[in-house]
Amino acid sequence: MLHEKLTAHLLEVQKPARYTGGEIGQVVKNPEKVDVRFAFCFPDIYDIGMSHLGMKILYSLINERENYWCERVFAPWTDMEEIMRKEGILLYALESGDEIRNFDFVGFTLQYEMSYTNILNMLDLAGIPIWQKERGERIFPLVVAGGPCACNPEPLAEFFDLFILGEGEEVNLELMDLYHRMRENGATRSEFLKKAAGIEGIYVPSLYEVTYHEDGTIENIMPHDGAPEKIRKRVIPEMNQAYYPEKVVIPFIEPVHDRISVEVLRGCIRGCRFCQAGFLYRPFREKSTETICKQGIRLCENSGYDELSLSSLSTSDHSQIETILDQLLNYTEKEHIHLSLPSLRIDNFSQSVLEKITTIRKSGLTFAPEAGTQRLRDVINKNITEEEVLRTCKIAFEGGYTMVKLYFMMGLPTETDEDIIGIAELAQKIVDLFYSMPGRAKGKLQISISTATFVPKPFTPFEFEPQAEKAEILRKQQLLKNAIQSKKIKTSMHISDVSQMEAVLARGDRRLCAVLAEAWKNGCRLDSWEECFQAEKWYDAFKTCHLDPAFYANRKRSYDEIMPWQHIDYLISKSFFIRENQKAHAGQVTPSCRQKCSGCGANQCLGRACF
Amino acid sequence: MKDYRMIFTKTGMSKYISHLDLNRCMFRAIRRSGLPAWYTEGFHPHLYLMFPLALPLGVESLCEIMDFRLNEERPEKEILEKLNAELPEGIQALTIHEPKMQAQEIISAEYQLCFRSEMNLLPLWENFMQQPEIFIEKKTKKGMIQIDIHPLMNIKHMTSGNQKLCLTLQLPAGSTQNVNILTVAEKFQKCAFQAISIKNIRRTKIFSENFQEFF
Ligand code: SF4
Repeated sequence: MLHEKLTAHLLEVQKPARYTGGEIGQVVKNPEKVDVRFAFCFPDIYDIGMSHLGMKILYSLINERENYWCERVFAPWTDMEEIMRKEGILLYALESGDEIRNFDFVGFTLQYEMSYTNILNMLDLAGIPIWQKERGERIFPLVVAGGPCACNPEPLAEFFDLFILGEGEEVNLELMDLYHRMRENGATRSEFLKKAAGIEGIYVPSLYEVTYHEDGTIENIMPHDGAPEKIRKRVIPEMNQAYYPEKVVIPFIEPVHDRISVEVLRGCIRGCRFCQAGFLYRPFREKSTETICKQGIRLCENSGYDELSLSSLSTSDHSQIETILDQLLNYTEKEHIHLSLPSLRIDNFSQSVLEKITTIRKSGLTFAPEAGTQRLRDVINKNITEEEVLRTCKIAFEGGYTMVKLYFMMGLPTETDEDIIGIAELAQKIVDLFYSMPGRAKGKLQISISTATFVPKPFTPFEFEPQAEKAEILRKQQLLKNAIQSKKIKTSMHISDVSQMEAVLARGDRRLCAVLAEAWKNGCRLDSWEECFQAEKWYDAFKTCHLDPAFYANRKRSYDEIMPWQHIDYLISKSFFIRENQKAHAGQVTPSCRQKCSGCGANQCLGRACF
Repeated sequence: MKDYRMIFTKTGMSKYISHLDLNRCMFRAIRRSGLPAWYTEGFHPHLYLMFPLALPLGVESLCEIMDFRLNEERPEKEILEKLNAELPEGIQALTIHEPKMQAQEIISAEYQLCFRSEMNLLPLWENFMQQPEIFIEKKTKKGMIQIDIHPLMNIKHMTSGNQKLCLTLQLPAGSTQNVNILTVAEKFQKCAFQAISIKNIRRTKIFSENFQEFF
């Protein structure tokens, strides 16, 4: 039941259905009959969180266990936060309306760095101390986190009891089982944490001590109380056996992606050197055609959605993609379902695949060449050629598309002005191609270029690289604007203060915990929302803590520097990243995993070669 | 092809589902139910759904209407059961039947409106109604206009007591003239200069001409 204080105010907030629960597909259990309660917290608002696939998987997985209950929690928007603080309403879980401070687990998913202040805000709204060491010896609530940003959890180390590294399908239940046993035996928080550190994939930051050199770099990271020297991420080796839900919660309000997804593969064969996800989720593992079709159809039937998305980092890299599309289209066309492939790659975008999709939906075409010249694309190992871009555009124009969206990054390693002008030139060639085609589609041509500032991330070959300074990015943005001639080309470019903060947090160390706490106290939260991000408050927080954002964002690291995430093992060896970094600077490309294994080390969890 | 009309409730927390969201919710319920839904022809076929009278967000109802179409005739009882199995808490189909009236025939609706306050509410309400005119602002295509709702408010029943005031009120509804019950309630709150909270608002009936219930 929702708090009466809350319902009295629900009509004062935007989209009240964000805060009510009660959706079809939610799981409600009798609290008297469950042993362990898990609050799955998404550190952003409902509209974003309800689109997230990982949450759907873990929600159903935990709830399949009769005596465990997983509920959903999202960050309130500012209007709701104000009411909660004024009325003294503590953060609650949507299914039961119960305050999460009494739950056994309060688990966050770390999807992007700019959501970190939301975590502190949510803990505070829940009435849970934000600092781990202030939570005392009572075993619950345990504040835990997983998700991609857990690969460098150091900027959050002092807020969390433990982090879950890698894929959560098995380890989450192992952790809950251990907790259940130990709580029954009256264990304390620290007793539990010491034991939990023995589970593969569980990182307990309070069991590690970090020392620093005078120049601010790390001297040593030392485990104590029997914690392992390296904590290795968890992997589900066989995707066909991986748990996948048959039912999901169907939101009332429209989330950012209003559709059902079936995950078709994990990992990526490409090795784009800027892309953290491409390395974090290695090794590459496919689901079989049969599994994908079965899961997709089941989800459509159970949800009533009319859009099914085949999701992964690069869906067209599935070896059986054409068969999958054929089989699914048989079903989806009959049932009036749109099939969408959000992550198509340009280079293997064959005519037949395109035709299959265009029969379903004519939306714009999106490409991410990421860099304007072949030289720079070689540096970042984004193996797309200009010919491929043009060839695909030609097919697309013939197929009736008139909108092309192009994504680029700015501030990439080795980037010169020529590379920036190359972006405008590539867009111009697409314009020229369109007008040279007699059989082109009717309608207005629209090319949009969007650029983002490159953020170097841990566990990529560019983890050593400095981020470009703001002034340099602004200069390059102007340069690009001046180079664009056609009115058919529109640009949208992002301001780089957020990117700098993202770069700081991505490669930050434990000393940033103080900065985060300070920024949050100053009023920072919902930082990934342009209308909420307040750069000065972040810079003030750095000043108060006597730290320099440039040290984290704009400094080049030597290959032998101890990184804050040195003790975290995502299966890929540092020597591989060094090799790849050297090749980048030499402008050499690395073939895809399917063509040739480059020995990154990820296959050790499979005990065989990846392909 | 066969047209059906569903009369349903929207009570409890489901009153926070907006009109647009209700549309998607019903759309999916029909799809999940396995009933043979009728789709429009053409390049982007879509399921046909029609709500003759929108309900403001935050207002409960015992008499909402939705029109939809199936490819073939099915027993009304079967449709009712299949849809009810797929509807969220608070939304319940009461009847399924062939539409007898046209949406344009709707002319008014009846509401139950309950206020709560520390004060005695009856004199406040009497003061409110003693005004010769009660103007509210209304958005139209030509911009904001003022309309006097006093003559449009038909109070059918009233009970008061113990810091509570409940009214049964009939207001114009439908495509010719429509008065939003929330605007009426808010106007009273504003005019009274006192802390009055709306305890509950619920639509109880929808009428066509001659006070016939819409069917
Ligand atoms: S082990 Fe080889 S094939 Fe497997 S992910 Fe690493 S580089 Fe690719």
